[in-house]
Amino acid sequence: MKRWIAFAIVVVVACLLPLALDPRGYWIRVLTFTLLFAAMAQAWNIIGGLANQTSLGHAAFFGIGAYTSTILLLKFGLSPWIGMVAGGVFGGVAAFIIAIPTMRLQGHYFALATLAFGEVMRVIANVWVSLTGGPGGTSIPFSPPSFANYSFKLLLPHTYIAIAALVITTLIFEWIQRGAMGYRLRAIKENPSAAEVIGIDTTRVKLQAAVISGALMAMLGTLYVQVAVFFDPDTVFSAAGISIRVALVAILGGIGTAIGPILGAFFIIPLEELMNEWFSSSAAGLSQLIFGLILIVVILWRPHGFVTVFRSLRAKFTGGTAR
Amino acid sequence: MAFIQAVIDGLLIGGVYAVISIGLTLVYGVMGIINFAQAEFLMIGMLVAWFAWAFLGLDPVLAAPLSFTVAFVIGWFVQGQLISRVLKAPSVAQIFLTVGLLIVIENSALLAFGSQFRSVTTWYQTISLSLGPLFVSVPYLIAFAMSLACGVALWWFMRTSWFGRAMRATAQNPGAAQLMGIDSALMYRIAFALGVGLTAFGGAVIMPYVTVYPGVGGQYVVLMFTVVVLGGLGSVAGAVAGGLAVGVIQALSALVFPIQLQNLVLFVVFILVLAVRPQGLVGASR
Amino acid sequence: MSILEVHGVSRRFGGLQALSDVSFSVPQGQIVGLIGPNGAGKTTFFSTLVGLIRPDKGSIRLDGESVVGLKPHKVAHRGMTKTFQNVALFGESSVLDNVLTAGLLRHDVDAAREEALKCLDRVGLRAIAHQQAGLLSFPERARVELARALCTGPKVLLLDEVMAALNPVEMQEVMDLIRSLRDDGITLLVVEHHMRAIMTICDRVLVLNFGKLLADGTPQQVANDPQVVEAYLGKSMEKRA
Repeated sequence: MKRWIAFAIVVVVACLLPLALDPRGYWIRVLTFTLLFAAMAQAWNIIGGLANQTSLGHAAFFGIGAYTSTILLLKFGLSPWIGMVAGGVFGGVAAFIIAIPTMRLQGHYFALATLAFGEVMRVIANVWVSLTGGPGGTSIPFSPPSFANYSFKLLLPHTYIAIAALVITTLIFEWIQRGAMGYRLRAIKENPSAAEVIGIDTTRVKLQAAVISGALMAMLGTLYVQVAVFFDPDTVFSAAGISIRVALVAILGGIGTAIGPILGAFFIIPLEELMNEWFSSSAAGLSQLIFGLILIVVILWRPHGFVTVFRSLRAKFTGGTAR
Repeated sequence: MAFIQAVIDGLLIGGVYAVISIGLTLVYGVMGIINFAQAEFLMIGMLVAWFAWAFLGLDPVLAAPLSFTVAFVIGWFVQGQLISRVLKAPSVAQIFLTVGLLIVIENSALLAFGSQFRSVTTWYQTISLSLGPLFVSVPYLIAFAMSLACGVALWWFMRTSWFGRAMRATAQNPGAAQLMGIDSALMYRIAFALGVGLTAFGGAVIMPYVTVYPGVGGQYVVLMFTVVVLGGLGSVAGAVAGGLAVGVIQALSALVFPIQLQNLVLFVVFILVLAVRPQGLVGASR
Repeated sequence: MSILEVHGVSRRFGGLQALSDVSFSVPQGQIVGLIGPNGAGKTTFFSTLVGLIRPDKGSIRLDGESVVGLKPHKVAHRGMTKTFQNVALFGESSVLDNVLTAGLLRHDVDAAREEALKCLDRVGLRAIAHQQAGLLSFPERARVELARALCTGPKVLLLDEVMAALNPVEMQEVMDLIRSLRDDGITLLVVEHHMRAIMTICDRVLVLNFGKLLADGTPQQVANDPQVVEAYLGKSMEKRA
């Protein structure tokens, strides 16, 4: 109960926060992307955290969502809302297809296979010019502003959609974690043979997790490009820009926890933006260099993410034990 | 005839792939870590060779030992200070530590040397030997010969030197090796430094026919992984076979597919091998 | 009517014939001991029964239906599961969560929790339900493992050395528990090195040696079988020497 009250308070504060920012300014844009990255990291967390399968290929689903909704809008005039659902379906199907051969793989092998899958999708999107427009990129066409058209004059509605997306992905994550599937995934993570012997269909449960994660990621891809407006295959299917960054956000914050992706996103995305702002003109590469250094330091110092800092602080104040 | 020509080109290029990938498989074989930053050491090797050529007038192929040395020193430091701390950590921490390293190295190079493309000019760059209807590109041939020499030297080192035998013992059973008085931390350092050194060596010998820029490593990441996975992660002999196979696959797919799809063939081979035989096609012998 | 019928089960690993032509059948409600020297194939045999290892030849019928080639979770669903010799708990989860997870085979989360608490009561571990499983002592972990297997609601339960490292009082408790499970209609196959325990609780004893079934009878018959005495005791004498 206490958790739910805390959760409600956080959501209300989150809804008020955008009102404090200049609606045409820079920071509301950063906030929106931060929220979307938090939601994506939460989707990644289902497979990466609960099932302990480190995916480095989530850009594949993200890009599928981005392109599905945009192509449906361009070629058939369908609202991106419908495109988002269609993208979710395609993303889930893609996750299913790639999960079948890779699911048995563990640790490094799974990471490698998913990394290659993301690259396959990037190459296909670049080559299949008649469908995607190819390396030249695609713009979201203008539609008359309305909610149904998913078209707005200001950024603010996008920010609220991003908040809703983060709340929903977080609730889905919590629901999975606390439900039967969460117990099963933890069992598989800790001992796959024992999990099978006590009646868990390990293949099926992992597939379910992969499909949910992939479908959510694809839907978030649709939301993301509505804000970005212009994109090309190399950005939406980017290993470094999407796959690795999303995994990173979850890992920095605290893998396998509901709060981790949110902490990670609010730490890393604004920081990255700030550094780009400060350094990109004077010294190319410096902001990414600092980003890489932070990553190394956090992994060595807090291998389980920032969430452990909060836990040990709380333990200090309440006199309990840190986990 | 085009087919035979492609096989020849593929084998020559593949020999280099073998050498740059041996380091990756060596590190995995000895300590069970996949170094996602391995390709960055290729870039370091290429850059060292370029600077040696630009400022000392050294042929990049002759600069290869220098590339090896620079990467070896960096690798020695990286293993001792960073990688050694995550040897027992969950695989996700290992993966992302080396990913962090990748980001740091690439952007350090960008910051220090800018984003321009750098290439060398050598007298043999454009020469081909003709064997009847077939051609053998001299820079390919030289790179292949250097890689071969490097591979033989490694083989000799692993077979005959005390360090080589100690390293193989550590790979097979770290605990037992430790009991026999082998310092496993030292072995890990040597393995890692040697591994990245070999990759840098490969980077230098290909300079006559490629250009270097800070992001060049990204072009080789999946390629190197494909080589080692084809050969069986951890198997040095497998990496040699895998390198040659990847070279030939690339050259042959270039005959059939447009240039943009070349990598796609490689990626698909990679995923299929992982899915069907994660222990590699060649076998699991370390 | 036999609950478990095994016929001609064989399995080879490279040059090692781990199981050869093992056949027997068990009527419902028996406690069957499975003994044999180390490396005789007892654990391999259990793994084969639950589907972790596929036999090269032979049939396994549970309650009249073949379970050969089914994955372990399907076998568990049909009503046969096992504990692991070296204890395979979900170490980072609590004791309750370990057992609850098994209960999910036949219940939703809330009902599984109730069921798990009952199972923990039965093995006498309710008091430590909320402790982390990985931090328990070995005998405690073995009992959590028993509770977890029990919580799948099995017809046939295979126990792989659950009495290892127990003191005499704890051993008596587990023996009483095994008997009470039998009284509930569960059929039990028990691998145990402790001969006194086997002789006391088993209705019947099977002896496995080099993957072959050497003897099958009451504890008295088996104990007096000269072949068994030679294979079993001879082996352990040798080891002691």
